[in-house]
Amino acid sequence: MAAGLISCHDCGKLLNGSEISNDSYSVCPRCNGDLHFRKQNSIGRVWALIITSIILLIPANLLPIMRVDFLGTQEYSTIMDGIIYFFHAKDYGIGLIIFVASVLVPLFKIIGMIIILLSIKFKWKRGLRHKTTMFRFIEFIGRWSMLDIFVIALMSTLVSFGGLSSTTAAPAATYFCAVVVCTMFAALTFDSRLLWDA
Amino acid sequence: MTSTTDLIACPGCDLLLKKIEGVAGKKLFCPRCNTVLIHRKVNSINKVLAITIGGLIAYIPAIFLPLLSLNTMGMSQSGSVFDAFLTFHTQKYYIVAVIVFITSIFFPLLNLSLLFSVSLQLKFRRYSRSLPLLFRTACHMDEWGMPDVYLIALLVSIIKINSMATIEYNTGFFCFIFLVFMTRAATSALDAEIFWRKMEEISPISQDRNHDVQ
Repeated sequence: MAAGLISCHDCGKLLNGSEISNDSYSVCPRCNGDLHFRKQNSIGRVWALIITSIILLIPANLLPIMRVDFLGTQEYSTIMDGIIYFFHAKDYGIGLIIFVASVLVPLFKIIGMIIILLSIKFKWKRGLRHKTTMFRFIEFIGRWSMLDIFVIALMSTLVSFGGLSSTTAAPAATYFCAVVVCTMFAALTFDSRLLWDA
Repeated sequence: MTSTTDLIACPGCDLLLKKIEGVAGKKLFCPRCNTVLIHRKVNSINKVLAITIGGLIAYIPAIFLPLLSLNTMGMSQSGSVFDAFLTFHTQKYYIVAVIVFITSIFFPLLNLSLLFSVSLQLKFRRYSRSLPLLFRTACHMDEWGMPDVYLIALLVSIIKINSMATIEYNTGFFCFIFLVFMTRAATSALDAEIFWRKMEEISPISQDRNHDVQ
């Protein structure tokens, strides 16, 4: 950016900024994508998405996510209940997978993005290399939080033996989905080059 | 000043570096922020074409044929990936249903068919105006198609169900595993830079644009 060069977000082609910037609207000659020096309004948008996902995280964890009907009894369970159930049943591997995917990953994403945003705001210049690596990792793990939703989808389709035993989704599923989508959008909207600009 | 064609900017931190051709199969990292700069892949266009054909063939049975059948106390129940989406719909969780539909059914198909059409056109050097748009869309789709997450969810469900009923594995299950492997293989065989360069090479528009600037 300092050299007046602009690299295309979509295809990575490097272009000479001064030739293009006199138009208000310019596109990359190779891929027709819009050109910007940095992703637009990145920091504001990421803050908005992160705050939204923190708010949504509360009902997602407190409300039940799944209802199990077994021989006439109804049992609602939250995300944590499901995990504790696995640990009681001595399925430690599965319990751990669900715990990592639906509790640790969303928390890590939110805390990680807040650390990154604060370090841009206050121009902390230490460990930029680690922060960039952390951001790459946040980008990569984002999609794995959908695991729990897919498990509920499959369980409620396959285990539906009428009154004998059936599984259905419960309100938290919507909130949890929204958390996953918000944090994924936050990672996509963030421009890691802003860390290095500060 | 060196021209823009001899330089590359790191996508992670915007450090300007002299452009070098990577060795095929080896990753080159940015010296400042450790982001992967160049990862050349051998024969990318042909591989992506072959893999996406395989994936598209497996797609319909993988999504619509039943994955598993459960038998317990004389009752039997089976379901496909498409049924799992319909379940949320019938339970009136519309937002969840839409997200599940997009991530497990629609985007995997879109991703495969876009990559298929782009690599086919590049292979036979046919340029159409929509080609850059198609490929840009395919690159953005990658994040949102989650058949691999779905497969792990399927395995978790199998372990959950295992204690309640006997499980029979149907054709859909094996087709779905194949589909997951094909989508992952397509992503790892894809070298976007090779695709863009090829597109630039066969595009009549970008050649014109170099001659007359507005």
